[in-house]
Amino acid sequence: MDNRPSRHLLVRIRSSRCEPPGQRRLTKREIGGARVRIGLLTEGGYPYVSGEAGLWCDRLVRGLEQHEFDVYALSRTEREEAEGWVPLPSQVGRVRTAPLWETVDDGIVHGRRARRRFAESYGDLAMALCTGAPGDPSASLAGEPGAGPAEGPGEGPGRESAEASEGRSALEADRFASALYGLAELARDEGGLPAALRSETAVRALERACRAPGAHRAAREARVPDLLTVAARLERALRPLSLDWYEDDDLGSVDLCHATSGGTAALPGLLARHFCDVPLLVTEYGVRLRTHYLTEPDSSPAIRALLAAFHGRLATETYRRAAVITPGNTHARRWQERCGADRAKLRTVHPGMDATPFAEAGEFPDCADPQTLVWVGRVEPAKDLVSLLHAFAEVRRAEPAARLRIVGTPSGPEGAAYLAHCKGLAAQLFPDEADGPHAVGRNPVSFEEIGGPELPSRADAYAAGALVVLSSVVEGFPSGLVEAMLCGRATVSTDVGAVVEAIGGTGLVVPPRNPRALAEACVALLRDPERRERLGAAARARALELFTVEQNVAAFHGIYLEILARTPVRRVLLDDTGEPLPFGVPAEAHVPGRWSDPVARVAARGGPGEPRSGPPGWATDGPVRATAPVSATEGAAR
Amino acid sequence: MSGIGELDRPETPRSPGAWDPRSRTCPSDGTVTAESSDGDASHPGVAETDRGRGVPPAEDRRPERSGRPRAGAGRDGVGLGCDGHGHAGGSRDGAGREGTGAREGGVAGGEIRDGRRSPSPSAGRRSAADPVKGLLHRHRDLCERAVDPLEIAAGLEAHGLTDRTAARFRHRDVFSLAEEMYARVPRGGDTPARTEDAPAPRPGGPRAAGVVLAVLPGVLCAAAVVGLRLSDGRPRLIVAAVGVLAVILALGAALRRGPLSSATRSTSAWTCWLVGYALLGDGLLRDAVTGGPDGLPDGSAAGPWPVTVVPVLALALSYAPAVGCAHLFVAGARRKLSSSRGLADFSASVRPLLLGTFALYMGALAALLALTGAALGEPAAHPQALTLGALLLLARLLTVHGHTHAATLVLAATATAEAAALATLFAGRLPGFGLLSAPVEALVAVCGPAGVPTAACGIGAVTLLVHASRRLTRASAHAPTERTP
Repeated sequence: MDNRPSRHLLVRIRSSRCEPPGQRRLTKREIGGARVRIGLLTEGGYPYVSGEAGLWCDRLVRGLEQHEFDVYALSRTEREEAEGWVPLPSQVGRVRTAPLWETVDDGIVHGRRARRRFAESYGDLAMALCTGAPGDPSASLAGEPGAGPAEGPGEGPGRESAEASEGRSALEADRFASALYGLAELARDEGGLPAALRSETAVRALERACRAPGAHRAAREARVPDLLTVAARLERALRPLSLDWYEDDDLGSVDLCHATSGGTAALPGLLARHFCDVPLLVTEYGVRLRTHYLTEPDSSPAIRALLAAFHGRLATETYRRAAVITPGNTHARRWQERCGADRAKLRTVHPGMDATPFAEAGEFPDCADPQTLVWVGRVEPAKDLVSLLHAFAEVRRAEPAARLRIVGTPSGPEGAAYLAHCKGLAAQLFPDEADGPHAVGRNPVSFEEIGGPELPSRADAYAAGALVVLSSVVEGFPSGLVEAMLCGRATVSTDVGAVVEAIGGTGLVVPPRNPRALAEACVALLRDPERRERLGAAARARALELFTVEQNVAAFHGIYLEILARTPVRRVLLDDTGEPLPFGVPAEAHVPGRWSDPVARVAARGGPGEPRSGPPGWATDGPVRATAPVSATEGAAR
Repeated sequence: MSGIGELDRPETPRSPGAWDPRSRTCPSDGTVTAESSDGDASHPGVAETDRGRGVPPAEDRRPERSGRPRAGAGRDGVGLGCDGHGHAGGSRDGAGREGTGAREGGVAGGEIRDGRRSPSPSAGRRSAADPVKGLLHRHRDLCERAVDPLEIAAGLEAHGLTDRTAARFRHRDVFSLAEEMYARVPRGGDTPARTEDAPAPRPGGPRAAGVVLAVLPGVLCAAAVVGLRLSDGRPRLIVAAVGVLAVILALGAALRRGPLSSATRSTSAWTCWLVGYALLGDGLLRDAVTGGPDGLPDGSAAGPWPVTVVPVLALALSYAPAVGCAHLFVAGARRKLSSSRGLADFSASVRPLLLGTFALYMGALAALLALTGAALGEPAAHPQALTLGALLLLARLLTVHGHTHAATLVLAATATAEAAALATLFAGRLPGFGLLSAPVEALVAVCGPAGVPTAACGIGAVTLLVHASRRLTRASAHAPTERTP
């Protein structure tokens, strides 16, 4: 008897399905490994040409050709979708996309029971959003009437109240989660969720939650337009709930979901975990919650409070459910810990960079001009070139032969204005100098761009100087610095962002906005070629060990296998009569190579060049039902 | 080793002995060793070791911070030297940045150990007892608009603050610093000066193109009527065909923009039928009751199948006031949206607005009917035209605000009722089916042929009015629809 809950296949949002072109190859056999079918979840990312972090995903997918990838992509804008996809390698089994940008309406009108279910779940969601912020006991206390302003500076809440609020925040998290899954189940059973999320019921629920006692102070100020905006934004954020991806032959058939960012992209992963028990891996190179805070335009406090609460709670829930979380650097890791990520689940996986263009410069470090400092990057105010120029003035006082090459293009009109300002400042600080009375003078500071005859590539830019300087005031993960390290150059950088984490002990770090410190560090290195060389070699060794693509791919490979080993998806196979099939999925199912797949054997006989026509092994031997229908539809779909 | 500022800072190492062995091997030639131990240290532990050494745990510091003022001037140089990563330690402070000692210390990754100098007076002034105060002042905007501490943390980080900088403010990390700042910003009256939104650009305002498009159907219809009056025979047929086509095209173009445009599928078929009935239906009905019709309509009111042009012309002319009324309604609703405090409040204030604009349109339509009736010298046909106008306006308003279902349903029902009335009349002529036509004949006997469309459209209009007064007064009907490019 098939006692699983009935699942209607409602195609609710336009969703495409396609197979990559070209021929398929046999998977490489690897001793001791296992073949993993990975559902790669992206939002405004990978298969699209203009997607962010697309390069990383592409390298990951191409680097792990022994595994199989299904890409589930949410597109953010119409333009993005119009620009098309990058060429996909053969290990990408299928791509399903869904737009987040268009207003969808499946025309389903809820009946009385569905309406009541929706009102209940959405009301819970709204209540969870309005009471306090995640991971922030003081805010939930401050939300109580009278507690906020009365709280003096520095007086933390007492221990008991902290504990109580901790328990309360756990309760809130549970409430949020159950409301979220309640909505997802409603969407799966009945459909019609997008319309319901924009309906008056939803707006009323939000209003009630905002006016409830104990609501966040900013939420209490919410007015009607704020409520409407919040409802619309929530509808957009919750759109993955209405997708038809959570069936047994879609996300239900993968071994693990890999969300390439937090937030909305992780939502399908959460639901797949909820519906099909698929483990979830979350990779965040930039924390979505933080991005949300920074990108939220000047909307009213109520909107910001409610949306921040939503994103915060979603992040908390994602971190709670994820099997493994991989932040890209310590900074992201701190935010994740702050949002409730368990330390045991966190594995920092540094972003990988392609080392080959820099190999030549890295292996021949002596070709550099020993008196030249190089700055490479995009010119913008956050890079604080003014401070660099002032520092270089001091360097010149100590080392009159020093030169500074600033290599970079301005970003946007602001960057262009800043570049002009810097050029003016350089002309003021440093008069042109000539070797003799009859020679043409030149400025010790030169502004150049990559691509010219002198500096055809970034590697050449780094190689041109003995010392690479970074003077930023704000920085995320400093990829330019890592490139300099790969080139084997000694570096002097400011202590911002993830600089210290990247540089380790292989370069000098000074405080930001401190030209004299920068100058003295530069002089110290300019005068000591031996130390420069040593630092450069150490930097290159460190970068090769930590920041290469291979390291990145290997780390994810290991994590995939670890997840597969720790939390394997147990699927019960049913035979024709609906009885469970014992030994339906033997352990050999995960042995690399398609052991049970007749098509694979045919392909093996025909040689590796033979195109594969039938369904891959996973479509037939993995998923739930051993009866004909599933594999038949799969075959038809392929 | 004896700065006065050190006395109350138990957290900083007092002597070189307080440094761990690794930091001592660090100076210049120690970089490679630092690297060798860095393979594991570069993993997330870095920040922790970093913090742990330079900065005390938060509990130790918090009371002090708010407590007594301190002569914290001599803090610079304490944390100088390397902390295993070749960068100068975690406890530079505002004073230290200006002071020379920190500069040197910051430079060389621990090569200059004796970087402690007596603090300059300016440094003493700058690093007051409460270092957070200055930061608070600098980021007052950020702190006042923040809805939770994490927002402040994100903003501070965007300004380049790191955990190591937060250490200068005696905090373990940016998050706890942000929490303090969040708690300390006064949010007294707590009605943050609500920036009254600048009056939004009036959507589809009375721009020339919009006005022209709104007037166009009426003008074309009037021209067609004049053409019909002036022509005869075959040319009249051509004029009629061209006129109908022109009016339909103009209406289609006008409906594509302005406050009556809707993104969803429209109800044009039913609308066309209803308007067609207004043009030809009354004549046909009258003829059918009396045994006709005896010939095809010839475009005049006196022919065998009389054509009633007045209501159609008045309706076409009333498209412009309809657009105006819809605009008034939308703009008024938007204003109410931003001014009302709650959903119930909003509904209560929008209902009179809806009824008012509806009445305004009715008045305009009645005036136009009287005017056209007088101009064409025909009876104005008030009841059926007014109810039809009301029905069409309400259906359109509902469609525009996303309630397509009800509008389509009622329009379809009305059209079907009218068609059924005609059909029963003709069916009643069949032998044995005389009973079928009895109700319609009774109605026509009481109210004349205008009774049928008036009753059908009137019932439809009242239904839609009740529906609209419930649906269109909801806030969700007026939600701005946004679409990302």
